[in-house]
Amino acid sequence: MLEGTLIYGFINSVILMLVALGFSVTFGISGVANFAYGALYIMTGYLSWLGLHSLGLPYWVAAPLAVVVTGAVAAMIYWFILLRVRGLVVSEVIATFGVGLAILELFRSLGFIGFEYTLPPIIDASVMIGDTYVDAQRLCIVATGILLAAFLWFFTHYTKTGLAFRGIAQDERTALTLGINGDKVAALSVAFGAGYGALAALVILPLGTIAVNEGYNVLVNALAVCIVGGLGSTVGIIVASFLIGFAQILTSTYLETSWMMIVSLVAILAILVIKPSGLFGHQKQLEERI
Amino acid sequence: MRKLTCLTAVALLLTALFLAPTGALAADKIVIGVPTSLNFLEGKEANNSVKLAVDEINKAGGVKVGGKMLPFVVESIDIRDAAPGVPVPEALLGIEKLILEKKPNALVVGPFRSEALLAGMDMLAKHKVPLLGTIAMSPKTEAKVASDPKYKYVFRVSLDAKYFVGYIAGVMGFLGKEFGFNKVFIMNQDVAWARATAGIMTKIFEGKLKWKVVGHETFPTGASDFAPALMKAKMAGAQVIMPVFDMPQSGILVKQWKAMKVPALMAGFISPLTGPGAWKTFDGKIGGALNAIFELGNIPSAKYPPSKKYYDAYQAKYGVPLEAGHGPAPSYASVYLLKAAIEKAGSLDPDAIVAALKATDAQGVMGHIKFSKGNQLIYGNDPQKEALGCFFQWTDDGKRLIVYPPAIAEGTIKLPAGMKAAK
Repeated sequence: MLEGTLIYGFINSVILMLVALGFSVTFGISGVANFAYGALYIMTGYLSWLGLHSLGLPYWVAAPLAVVVTGAVAAMIYWFILLRVRGLVVSEVIATFGVGLAILELFRSLGFIGFEYTLPPIIDASVMIGDTYVDAQRLCIVATGILLAAFLWFFTHYTKTGLAFRGIAQDERTALTLGINGDKVAALSVAFGAGYGALAALVILPLGTIAVNEGYNVLVNALAVCIVGGLGSTVGIIVASFLIGFAQILTSTYLETSWMMIVSLVAILAILVIKPSGLFGHQKQLEERI
Repeated sequence: MRKLTCLTAVALLLTALFLAPTGALAADKIVIGVPTSLNFLEGKEANNSVKLAVDEINKAGGVKVGGKMLPFVVESIDIRDAAPGVPVPEALLGIEKLILEKKPNALVVGPFRSEALLAGMDMLAKHKVPLLGTIAMSPKTEAKVASDPKYKYVFRVSLDAKYFVGYIAGVMGFLGKEFGFNKVFIMNQDVAWARATAGIMTKIFEGKLKWKVVGHETFPTGASDFAPALMKAKMAGAQVIMPVFDMPQSGILVKQWKAMKVPALMAGFISPLTGPGAWKTFDGKIGGALNAIFELGNIPSAKYPPSKKYYDAYQAKYGVPLEAGHGPAPSYASVYLLKAAIEKAGSLDPDAIVAALKATDAQGVMGHIKFSKGNQLIYGNDPQKEALGCFFQWTDDGKRLIVYPPAIAEGTIKLPAGMKAAK
């Protein structure tokens, strides 16, 4: 039992990390709040499904195309909506949350409800780890998680665009004096974050079905990880993913599965009471208020 | 004074016209209202089945009402009650809108959620509109109808949780006798009918069947990762996993069961597993699973030809086979029941229709049709005596083989590869 709990706890943690990375890129690093993130995640799933089943495209065409379209839609959300409210955090949250709602409920009203909305796994097999069977797709998720986390670290530390992301997160006005175009970088970060979410969707969604409500769950989980880990800290996100991921699996295994859903919410409340800037957050304004 | 009298008379006349029974005004057609969750598989196919029956009846001349042949007209509305988070009052508003605007002579299909049906019974009594419900399953509606005559307008043509439990108990009894199984792990969705089914089954397992319930997990609507619960079932030594789910995400449970190679037989109800399309959707990873079909006709049985005739007619009209295991067949049957009741009543008076419906004693696509005191269609094991639900098993080559009840069984239950009998 313990072995299985550890294996599934680890996988669940990586799933949470994958879900949160894209959100963190936009919200944590470049300071842009994209609350349409969950909707964009689900949109990738539906677009891939449509590419596969309605357009008859092969998976290796439909899936990357869905990622590109999702990124483009995210950039357009920035350009046509967020640009006007940029800097007003509350307005950014309201605008993006509204867009997310519209996207998700549009899918629902168009009839995208049903068990047929599934994506094929990358590897369709089961693997025995110790005495526990694990489907190979979960191992693909772990591999993807490690790769994307490593790439994000590399990107934000060693590429010009990544450094620009961090630049506007630290101080947008100073970044501007150094020749960084804040709007362009912010648009890029929204698209980049959505792209990360889209990649996560492609590996995670084959575990279940593509469902509108999953968009809300993804947003809650991403928020929980970012708040607990601390906004802007990639290390924080990784640590928080493992804390919440294991807490969820332990709750499910030793208590009730139905309680698993409230772990993220309890984590948000707890960290806001104890350390509002998050475990690895550096928002002095928040800390000084306590 | 004279002017005032005239005005009063006109006002009274208009009021009388407005309040007159809908049937008297809509004498050129009979309106069937279909308020349900049209975007969900069961709702969509139930609505299609109502239209199929209506087309057949209208083609044959319509319904004879007092010497006049009237056509059926279908008015559908999406009340979205099956979607997570949609509050019951919103679903009831949809039903009332349909009643007030389209003035239906009867409603068919109705809400998905028992919570919505139970809450809507007073409204149906107020407007005196008969409902032939075919999806919501809580036995509480039957008890309400039996205890208070004002609820007489509510009929249920589909299976209810009580009869469903009877079928599961029958299958579990067979599994115990045939394979020596006596340990079960229950997984159910957190909705009224599924909770009721799991609760009653727990009592039956521990009492009459003398099984041990080694675990019980309840999942919120929308949950899609069942791995931790499956791991618990495996560790608890479950020989049978009994799922009770009607949400689209639940199909993935069986796929995860296969991937994790849990050595327990999956036997219960998972709505996405009922139709022939499930084999392709779940990549053929559902072989060996036992699943309920709530009403015969949603699966064809060569041993009961009316079920096959309906199933084939649906496929011929819509070009695709029926996928839902709950709702479509009784919805189709309901239209014919309504036709017979209206013709017997000789009018569109709701009380006369209800009285005629209550006296129904006929054969239908699900078997024999007769209602209980609480207006619940009586289900059993012999299609000549009662309506039927059934269990089928997915074979390893993707076929659905009816295995229970014995009257219509096409084969016997086989254990999936890797599983052994306990005796």
